[in-house]
Amino acid sequence: MASFRIDGLDVEAEEGWTILETAKFYGIDIPTLCHDDGLTSYGACRLCIVEVGEGKNAKLTTSCTTPAQEGIRVRTHSRRVMNARKMIIELMIARASGSKTLQDLAVEYGVQSVRFKLKHDDCILCGLCVRMCKEQMMSGAIDFVGRGKDRRITTAFDEKSVDCRFCGGCMYICPICELRCQGPDPPGAICGSCLNMAPTCLDHYDDAQCFMAEDGCGTCVREPAKEKIAEKEE
Amino acid sequence: MTAEFKNNDDINKLRNIINKKKDSNKTFITMCSGTGCLASGSGKVTEAFRNSFKKMNLESKVEVKTTGCHGFCEHGPLIVIRPSGIFYHKVTPEDVDEIISETILKSKVVDRLLYVNPSTGEKIIYEKDVPFYNKQMRILFGKNGILDPTSIEEYIGLGGYSASEKVFSRMSSDEIIDEVKKSGLRGRGGAGFPTGFKWDFCKKAKGDMKYIVCNADEGDPGAYMNRSLLEGNPHSVLEGMLIGAFAIGASEGIIYIRHEYPLAVKTIENAMDQMRKYGLLGNNILGSGFNFDIRIVPGAGAFVCGEETALIASIEGKKGEPRQRPPFPAQKGIFGKPTNINNVETWANIPLIINNGAEWFTNIGVEGANGTKIFSLVGKINNTGLVEVPLGTTIREMVYDIGGGIPKGKKFKAIQTGGPSGGCIPENLLSTPIDYVKLAQAGSIMGSGGLVVMDEDTCMVDVAKYFLGFLQEESCGKCLTCREGIERLLEIVTDITEGKGKMSDINLLEELGNVVKDASMCGLGQTAPNSVLSTLRYFMDEYEQHIKYKRCPAVVCKEIISSPCQHVCPIDTEAPLYISLIAEGRYEEAFNVIMKDNPLPSVCARVCSHPCETKCQAGKFSDPISIRGLKRFVTDYAQKNDLKYLPEKQETKKEKIAIIGSGPAGLIAGYYLGMNGYQTTIFESLPVHGGALSVCIPEYRLPQAILEHDIKNITNMGVEIKYNVTVGKDISFEELRKTYQAIFIATGARKSIKLGIPNEDADGVLYSMDFLRDMALGKKINVGSRIGIIGGGNAAVDAARMASRISSIEEASFNAMIDTAGMASRLTDFEEATLIYRRTKSEMPAFEEEIKACLDERVKMQFLTAPKRILVKDGKITGLECLKMELGERDDSGRKRPIPIEGSEFIIELDTLIIAIGERPDLSFLDEIEGFEVNKGDTIKVDTELYTTGIDGVFAGGDVVTGPNTVIEAMGSGKVVAGLIDKYLKGEPVERKYEVTRPSMFVKPVELTEEEVAEARRPLMRCTPIENRTCSLDEVDLGLSEENAIKEARRCLRCDLETEEGKKQFEPAEEVA
Repeated sequence: MASFRIDGLDVEAEEGWTILETAKFYGIDIPTLCHDDGLTSYGACRLCIVEVGEGKNAKLTTSCTTPAQEGIRVRTHSRRVMNARKMIIELMIARASGSKTLQDLAVEYGVQSVRFKLKHDDCILCGLCVRMCKEQMMSGAIDFVGRGKDRRITTAFDEKSVDCRFCGGCMYICPICELRCQGPDPPGAICGSCLNMAPTCLDHYDDAQCFMAEDGCGTCVREPAKEKIAEKEE
Repeated sequence: MTAEFKNNDDINKLRNIINKKKDSNKTFITMCSGTGCLASGSGKVTEAFRNSFKKMNLESKVEVKTTGCHGFCEHGPLIVIRPSGIFYHKVTPEDVDEIISETILKSKVVDRLLYVNPSTGEKIIYEKDVPFYNKQMRILFGKNGILDPTSIEEYIGLGGYSASEKVFSRMSSDEIIDEVKKSGLRGRGGAGFPTGFKWDFCKKAKGDMKYIVCNADEGDPGAYMNRSLLEGNPHSVLEGMLIGAFAIGASEGIIYIRHEYPLAVKTIENAMDQMRKYGLLGNNILGSGFNFDIRIVPGAGAFVCGEETALIASIEGKKGEPRQRPPFPAQKGIFGKPTNINNVETWANIPLIINNGAEWFTNIGVEGANGTKIFSLVGKINNTGLVEVPLGTTIREMVYDIGGGIPKGKKFKAIQTGGPSGGCIPENLLSTPIDYVKLAQAGSIMGSGGLVVMDEDTCMVDVAKYFLGFLQEESCGKCLTCREGIERLLEIVTDITEGKGKMSDINLLEELGNVVKDASMCGLGQTAPNSVLSTLRYFMDEYEQHIKYKRCPAVVCKEIISSPCQHVCPIDTEAPLYISLIAEGRYEEAFNVIMKDNPLPSVCARVCSHPCETKCQAGKFSDPISIRGLKRFVTDYAQKNDLKYLPEKQETKKEKIAIIGSGPAGLIAGYYLGMNGYQTTIFESLPVHGGALSVCIPEYRLPQAILEHDIKNITNMGVEIKYNVTVGKDISFEELRKTYQAIFIATGARKSIKLGIPNEDADGVLYSMDFLRDMALGKKINVGSRIGIIGGGNAAVDAARMASRISSIEEASFNAMIDTAGMASRLTDFEEATLIYRRTKSEMPAFEEEIKACLDERVKMQFLTAPKRILVKDGKITGLECLKMELGERDDSGRKRPIPIEGSEFIIELDTLIIAIGERPDLSFLDEIEGFEVNKGDTIKVDTELYTTGIDGVFAGGDVVTGPNTVIEAMGSGKVVAGLIDKYLKGEPVERKYEVTRPSMFVKPVELTEEEVAEARRPLMRCTPIENRTCSLDEVDLGLSEENAIKEARRCLRCDLETEEGKKQFEPAEEVA
């Protein structure tokens, strides 16, 4: 058992739990993409990063791989985390703008434009398919090849794999090759036709407020009362 | 002798036997056989020595010992003759016989093989006196120079394995770890984690088996200190590992070494075999019951495998990809067992700490960074090599004292520490001590010890691009922020270097860089943006120059600069185009190309400071193309053949424009305004036109007739010049404003600065500007026969330093001084002219050819001398009391500061002293006018881009804005102002548009025969013989012959064809098909 704190809430984790598992158990939302409960944690998409530690020594780390440790302080929606997540989503969409999963994430996190040149690669190398194939389907027909920008997923020697049983597990789990987002084919890469649900409270506070303020801050729907902020700063 | 050590005493016994056997009288030559020296041919030298010894039967008296790297790689192959310590550098097999016959047999020094201290010119005999070595502290590297790395006996003889002996006989593992903790040793691989604590974690971790690893995956470009340590002193590393294993309780050691280091692998393997023979590896080591062995795992060369989790994956036989920490290797390492990983250099420090104690170690270095560190000092530096210094040594000591400064007297720009993941540290932080904290504060990292020095010719945006490119290749690609982030950073930076950047890119780079740093999985991604972030922090202006002005200040980024000569010309002369036209004999076209941008071509062909030649690519490997000489050839040809360039002149407009001053800036502005149809009047206070061109530049450099020839181009455009009209006296500035819709102030900087020493008002003390002007106007000047000229960098120049064009400004003031000296030497009564300068010749910023001409013309130069007092008799000068100077510490500009030597006064007898220490603009005519802002050096403050003053419709340019500067810079501002005044009068927004440099057309490149290539050389200008120059004002330079001009033009490297656009021009036909 490890006792620690997530977003100001005292939590207890079973032996061997990660931060992500603990947060899920307590109903705290951390977005994930390359994580799946049935597969080993990989830590590649970086979306589930959280801020661990305080002050100068605080570090961003992936909650899906970090074991729950006694006494740590975890913040799941700090400004630093949210800024990084927004950039990560922007980078992903620049690579594969047709994914509804990614577009929904953009909406949720208030990513409103993509400033990079669009590449329609339709793969963000999250590795879900690779692990699905290996760990659940016991096949290992596909894997990563190449390094850095040349990294890609393919069968051995780029030839038709004898290990593949055409189960379709790879397609099932892929966050990109799914029904295309139905928004207008945008001039920019963000579809944005759904609601923008990004919390605006981060303009004023260092943490997202919705799940922790006693009286509800309401910054999402109205301008925060100036006195309140002044009070907070004191 | 290879009996296995059963206990600690056995080592001691062996050591005694070895040392007794040693013949202290035997001469031996230590031959550096490190990678650098091997590459420069030390193998052949060794062979030559051995053969000669055999032939001469000297084998019993002398021995050649091949050792590891000595560090001074720039000067390899290196040899040291011991025990005397005589040091020879750059030794070739041909030198061997002389060394044997002179030094070995007769104990005489071979002079020509000695190292010469470049700053003093003094020859150095002994290794210990070489500044490169004597500023270092070589506790790790010291034995490299005397030790045969293939022999364990030599290592033992020099006290090796005494630390193991101490540990196994007298220390518990806790005591060892305590000692290492107390020593404050931090990891030398990059992150600098305290070694003792790391060991402690691993020791305390639960596990039935533990590993220790030596990380020898050295992959930074240009870094090779670990390699040299492994190759030169392998046992020091292995002994460190043995002690570490004993302390941690590890049973297996692994050396993860790059496959590209075959020599190191061989040396280490041999060393391990020897250890096993002596029972220093294996079971029951030294009778202690402790079992430990080491094996080598070769890495395939992936940079990321230097990261510890990727390294573990690689050792396990998996793809070398990192994983997220925690868990740390100390908890879960190789195959899930506790693992302790340290860098080669960290391990090598351990025996030293055990032998000498933690306290000894803490006395080296600075607080928080104890001990020494080995750096590989590479890049634009005189003494490339491996350097070991105490931590806390400043970067300045590193670059100038040990590194010997920047080659070719160039200016230091930045130093990159810590390899590709490090940051660039600029000149103003040269005093930063090299330790973990201070480097991190400066935005860089210690890394494993790579130091890459960059000079003024390095573009910092290009540097960021290079390192990002490297990291993009080397990123494993597993985590998104590193893979995508670096690729996007590189994409944006590449756009900037190609002139396609936007100002918003800078914010994006910063934002993205910080996220990559923050959110990446391993050390590679977390440090990858350092090169961008640090260059953004310190060299933001270079990014802005690329983005806003489409300029690359270091003239590197191909897609922006096209040809360097065209890129740097202030008036955009298409040099590559007219050069290639000359090569084809199309002189008239070449003339038209020149005239299009320059109405004063014959003038420029004589007096231009030719920034084009300074940056000419041909000059990097041999001499730059004589671009000015080629221009001279074309303009001479045009004059001879009466070629006319007739641009279309627009219809006369009603607006009137006044230009104050008929110098280069005023003339060129008048030309282009006249061409646009404006009624333009130039007001000149002197009876002659040309400003500095006629009254500062002497006749022998620019004949009056040539100036007259070019002036016609201006007046043909309908420009009127009013002589003897001084604004503020003959006509008020207010009046001008009423009559003229726009005014351009280009009055230059012609007021000499006073020296500020006693008796400056004496008879016989002149100022250079007055002297040159009166000479030009044919006035009678009373000068004596012994003339002194004082000049050089001065207070005025220092004040003007704010202006970015510092070097050209100094050059300008300096040239005025040389001109004065040259002119003085042509006076009829001339006997002796002495030039007095407070620094040395190498610091003189004037053109070399002018200095040389000056010396040719019997002008004496008195260096390191500063004036103190003018001696006077009856109100007339009799001499000058001077002080000797010496060069002291370097200031922040990297130049040595001249310091007066007390009591060194001496007298130079003179009857005339001309003061040429600098000039300032004379702004007295603006005294009453409100709206002008004036800078410190009496220059008019203008918008740096638009040349607008505080008053609407009044522009200012040339020297009156910059302070004394070159002719071509003044012309550049005049040309720009003409365009801006046109916009202003048309009611268009006054702004400049910037585009990347491109020629207006491409000319087919010429093909050179092999013979031509072999004899391609910069031709010498024909000159008036020296004996005809004194007492004569005839032009000195006589121009190139047609044959030489064509030859020279054909030598051009045609940089303009190297852009994407240029490459497509003349693709071979078959490739197109």
